[in-house]
Amino acid sequence: MVLSFFSASLLLSLLILLFRNKTATRIVSLGYALTLIGFTVYSWTSLNSTELSYFTFSSAGVLLLSILALLALPTFYHGFIYTSGDDVKKHTIYHIAMIMLMTFMAGAYLANGMTVLWIFIEATTLAVAALIYHDRTEAALEATWKYVFICSTGIALAYLGILFLGLIYGRGDAANLSFEALAGIISQANPLYLKIAFIFVLVGFSTKMGLFPMHTVTIDAHSVAPPPVSALISTTLMNVGFLSIFRVYFLFSSSPVLAFMNHVLILAGILSLLISAGYMLKAKHLKRMLAYSSLENMGLVAIAIGAGGSGYYAAFLLIVLHSLAKSSLFYQMGQLSRVLRTFSLDNCGRYMALYPAGALVLLTGMICILAFPPSGLFISEIMIFRAMVFNGQWIVLAGVVILLCFVIYAMSIRVMHIVFSDPRNEPGTQPAAAVSPVESISQFVLLAIVVALCFYQPQFLSDLINQSISIFF
Amino acid sequence: MVNYLIVLFAITLIYFASAERLIIYIRLIALQGLLLCGIAIFELTEITTANLLFIAAETLLIKTLLVPYLLSGITKRSGVVKVHRQAMPGFYLLIFSIAGLLTSVILAGSMPNPFINTIFLAVALFTLFTGLLMIVTHKLIISHIIGFLIVENAVFLFSLAVGNEMPMLINIGILLDIFVGVLIIGFFGLRLKPHTNELTILKD
Repeated sequence: MVLSFFSASLLLSLLILLFRNKTATRIVSLGYALTLIGFTVYSWTSLNSTELSYFTFSSAGVLLLSILALLALPTFYHGFIYTSGDDVKKHTIYHIAMIMLMTFMAGAYLANGMTVLWIFIEATTLAVAALIYHDRTEAALEATWKYVFICSTGIALAYLGILFLGLIYGRGDAANLSFEALAGIISQANPLYLKIAFIFVLVGFSTKMGLFPMHTVTIDAHSVAPPPVSALISTTLMNVGFLSIFRVYFLFSSSPVLAFMNHVLILAGILSLLISAGYMLKAKHLKRMLAYSSLENMGLVAIAIGAGGSGYYAAFLLIVLHSLAKSSLFYQMGQLSRVLRTFSLDNCGRYMALYPAGALVLLTGMICILAFPPSGLFISEIMIFRAMVFNGQWIVLAGVVILLCFVIYAMSIRVMHIVFSDPRNEPGTQPAAAVSPVESISQFVLLAIVVALCFYQPQFLSDLINQSISIFF
Repeated sequence: MVNYLIVLFAITLIYFASAERLIIYIRLIALQGLLLCGIAIFELTEITTANLLFIAAETLLIKTLLVPYLLSGITKRSGVVKVHRQAMPGFYLLIFSIAGLLTSVILAGSMPNPFINTIFLAVALFTLFTGLLMIVTHKLIISHIIGFLIVENAVFLFSLAVGNEMPMLINIGILLDIFVGVLIIGFFGLRLKPHTNELTILKD
C-alpha cells in the first residue's frame, strides 16, 4: 500500500505537469487529498505492520499522518483561493510542490529507520523551498535562501548524528540503522557517542521542529510563504521534526543518557520560550508573531518531554492541538491579507467591522493557541505543569509561567488591536476585497475540535498516544 | 597513505582560516575534493568495485570540478576578489581554528572505537568546526556557501570513516552533495548577490 501511495502521488504530480490547466490541477489535487485520506484510513487498519522493509505504521506515525490527512483538504482549498490569480506555470509548480511535500511528510512519519527518515526530511526541504519562493519577490528569494541554507546545514548536522549512531556499538550490528536494530544494541553503547549523536540530531532536526537554536529558519519562511504553506510549515512539518527527535529520544531512553537528554530538552525549551516571548513583545508582522507562537509551543513540547511522566502524553496532545489551532490561524491570514491588504500590525485594524467571520476566527484561535479554557491546549499545559511539580522542577516551572505571561500579553493585545482598534497608520488606498464568510468554515471546524478535546478525548486518540509513549511506563 | 591524505586535508582547513582571496578558497575546495577522492579509494577497500567507482567519480566530478567551476562563475560575475568583510580579523580566525583543531583531537581521543581511525574522527570534527566557523564569522553570501561546502566535506569524510561497514551511508552523503550543494550554488548563487550581505529585508 505504501508503494501504491507513493506511486499515486508521483502519477498525480505528473498529471498536473501534463495538463497545465488550472481546473484540471484542482481536480487532481483534490484527488490527491482523497488518496491521502484513504491511505490514512488504511494505516489505521494496519497499525504496527511493516511494509517495504522501511516503513512501519507505528502509533506515533499514524497519529501525525492523521493530522496531515485532516489538514489536507483545507490546505488545498485555501491554496486554490490563494493561487487563483497566478499564471498557469506558478499554479502548476505550487500544486506539484504541495503534493510532494505532503507525500514526503507522510514518508517521514512512517519511516522506521534513521536513514530513510533523513532522506524524506531532506526531500521536504526542496518541496518547501519551491513553495516559499512562490511569489518570486526579492523577500521570497531571501527567505528561500535562508530556509534552504540553514535547513541543509542542520540536516548535514543531523546526518553526522546518524553517523555517530552507526558507531555506537560496533561493526555491522545495525548496518541498516533501523530503530528496531538500534534498540537492540543501545544499552551497550558508549554513552559519549549517544550524547553526541543526540545533540547533533536535536540541533539538526530543530530546523524542522522550529526549536531553538535553529528556529530562525521557519520565522523568515513564514513572512513570505503563502498562508496555506505557512499552515503546513508551522504544523505538520514541525511535527516531522518533533517525531524525528522523539524517535531518537525514545531509542536512547533505555540508556544512561536519559537524564542528559531531559536536561538538554528542557534547556532548549526554556530558551525557545525566552526567544519567542522576547520577539513577540516587539513583533510588528502578524505572520512572524504567529511563527514565534509556534516556537513557544514547540518549546513547551520540548519541556514536556524533558519533564517526563505525564509530560509525554501532554507533549503529543499539545502537538495534535497546536496543529489544528495554528493551521486555522494561518489559513485565516490568507483572508486577512485580502481584507486588510497587509500583515504589518501598525496598518491592521477594525477587522471585526470589515470581516466579522475572520475576526471571530482570530479571537477564537487566540483563545485556543494561548491555552485559555475551554481550549484543549489548556489540558495539555496543565499536564506539563503537573509533570514539573511532580519532579520538583519549581524553578523551571516558575520560568515557564513567567514567560508564558509575556507571550499571552504580547499576543492578546496585538490580536485585540487588529480586531477592534483603528489602524495606527493611515490605511492604504487599496479597497478591501469582499471575502465570503464561507471561507472561514474549515477554520471554525478545526477550532471546534480543539475546544471539544478540552472536554472529551476520544478513546482512539488516547490509545494512540498511550501506545506511542508506552515504553516509558 | 590514507593518514597522509587526511593530514593534508587538515592543512587545507588551516589555510582556509588564513586565506583572504576567494580564488584561494575555490582552489582549496577543489583540492579537498581531490583529497577526498584519494581517501575514498585507499580507505574503502571492502566495498564493491562498482560502488567505489561511483564514489570516486562523484568526488572527482562534483567536488573537484563542477562545484569549483560554478563558484568561479559566481565570483567572475560578481567581480568580488577578496573576502574583506569578515566579522572578525583573520588573526583571530587562525587562533580559533587552531583551538578547534586541538579540541577536535582531544574529543576524538576521548572517544575510542575499534572500528574507526581516531585521526579520521579528529579531522572530520575539525572540518565541521571550520565550516561552521566560516558561516558564523563571514558576512558575504559566497563565504557562507563555501562554509556549507566545508560542512558537507566533514559529513563526507566522516561517512568514509564508516564506509566499509555501512556503504549505504556514503551513498546518502552523496545524495546530500548532489541535491543540495549544486542546488545552493546553481540556483541561489546566480540569483542572490553573492558579493553582498544584503539579506536584510526580513527582520524583526
